[in-house]
Amino acid sequence: MENIWTIENLWNAIGTVLRNWLAGFLPAWLVTLIMDLLVIVVLLAIGIVAVLVLSFMERKVAARAGDRYGPNRWGPYGLLQPFADAIKMLIKEDIIPHVADRFSFNLAPVIVTVGAVMTYAVLPFGRDMVAANLNIGILYFAAVGSLSIIGLLTAGWGSRNKYALISAFRAVAQLITYEVPVGLCIICVVMLAGSLSTQDIVLAQQERGWFFLLMPGIFILYFLAASAEMIRCPFDLLEADSEIIAGHFIEYSGMKFALFFLAEYIHLFAGSAMMVTLFFGGWLGPWLPSWLWFLIKTFVVIFVFMWIRNTFPRIRIDQVLKIGWKVMVPAGLVGLAITGFVDKLIADKLIAGVVLFICNIGLIIGVSYLMGRAQRRKEMAAEGAALR
Amino acid sequence: MYGTGLLKGLSVTLRHMIGTFVTDIRKFPRRYFTDGNHPTRSPEPYLHGTFSIQYPEEKVPMWPRFRGPLVHLRDPETGQPRCTACGMCERACPHGCIKVEGEGKGKERKPTRYEYNVGRCIFCRQCVESCPFNAIELSRFYELACYDKDTIWDLPRLLELGDKEVITEQGQFWGET
Ligand code: SF4
Ligand code: SF4
Repeated sequence: MENIWTIENLWNAIGTVLRNWLAGFLPAWLVTLIMDLLVIVVLLAIGIVAVLVLSFMERKVAARAGDRYGPNRWGPYGLLQPFADAIKMLIKEDIIPHVADRFSFNLAPVIVTVGAVMTYAVLPFGRDMVAANLNIGILYFAAVGSLSIIGLLTAGWGSRNKYALISAFRAVAQLITYEVPVGLCIICVVMLAGSLSTQDIVLAQQERGWFFLLMPGIFILYFLAASAEMIRCPFDLLEADSEIIAGHFIEYSGMKFALFFLAEYIHLFAGSAMMVTLFFGGWLGPWLPSWLWFLIKTFVVIFVFMWIRNTFPRIRIDQVLKIGWKVMVPAGLVGLAITGFVDKLIADKLIAGVVLFICNIGLIIGVSYLMGRAQRRKEMAAEGAALR
Repeated sequence: MYGTGLLKGLSVTLRHMIGTFVTDIRKFPRRYFTDGNHPTRSPEPYLHGTFSIQYPEEKVPMWPRFRGPLVHLRDPETGQPRCTACGMCERACPHGCIKVEGEGKGKERKPTRYEYNVGRCIFCRQCVESCPFNAIELSRFYELACYDKDTIWDLPRLLELGDKEVITEQGQFWGET
């Protein structure tokens, strides 16, 4: 028997050993139950560790972009700061507003967090390292990912606060708008890969090259739409501090606020991980073990999100919706048509890839030209109005 | 092309981000300290590097005419306090922060008790202006937070603070008075 104890499948090997050990003295159904529960616990742990790391990283990146140091007092280089934050959150007083709808107020953080954590089930953390290798993995991700909209709406309704309610409206308007381009981009990837399973999509990229190289236009579209879906700047209209204070979690404090915070960063991690899976070849990569590659790529993508957050100002809600419906959805449809035709008409995979790349560059230039022309026309109209 | 402005903005923040790390590495072992007593803060907006002042480790020196709490000055020859307990400062002070008691006559008169209530002082410098012997001055010390209500400072403490702040003469930082 070959040696299973390589770094490559370290985690799988631990699982196998544990399962064999349990099977020695427990009935089979109990072993399955325990192993499934363990997987859930591990996924939750990954979620919480990711939140600790990401909240620290967010503050450090924000600080560095603004020529500051960021947290650096507690622990070497401020590394223990997330734990201090967590303790602070846990011991804070839990306030429920007098007029709040208690049931939905208390339910909302749970829905949001559960919806966020459930997306982890289909993330391919490495070769053969996916909690549930569903054959409709991507569909599941998109469906469960939008579950948290219900939580946001519940929070907005339950807190009985105007700002929270405005945020809930925005959540519905914005997230539903951006669900469409995200879906269109995912369909393009699925057409190339020929499967909805996350593992198969990664394996298809081994064969055809990373989809990021094949379809840069679709990738940019997906990147923008996904950042709107993850409520990241510049599309974080739901928690626009300057307009509606903190949006849906304005009335929350203590542990419930922490749950919203947790959900936000879990979404960020899951969204970046999905982007890596769809466009950057998932866990593919030389030399290093596959799960390490996956983590490295995910953190690079997360860094780009943080970088963008610290560069651009927030845009208005009408601009968000306008870009969503007038630019992204048509561009996504055109991209879908291009991908479909090229994939069907050209049998040779290499030539298809090259043609796809050229078409995507054309798509980027075309969209950019049309947007620039619309902008110029608007400016000219404004000038004409000023002259009159 | 439409959208190139976004890339330009991204490059600006990236350059600033890298710039902070570059300055960090350049002054590596003393990361939280700036050279000498005077933190150098670049006035130009195009320079890179962190602008934070790491307060307990590095402090910004106050500008020359900053008015902090009162200090007593020493006679450079004898090393004794210059104050002769004439009571002019006590009379000049609009807030009544100063209490002076002394003994002896003429030049021999020395203060036995000098109380300065920093908690009530408004740093108006009237006492300094009124002193005929140039015996007091306002320091540039500013860390006045304390854990108890003991805000009445006596003569040894005022002298000690004067030594620490290296103030030897009235109007030292004020130009000609
Ligand atoms: S500075 Fe003004 S308030 Fe303070 S002790 Fe002197 S005279 Fe009194
Ligand atoms: S005015 Fe000057 S010399 Fe007179 S008591 Fe005050 S500090 Fe001393």
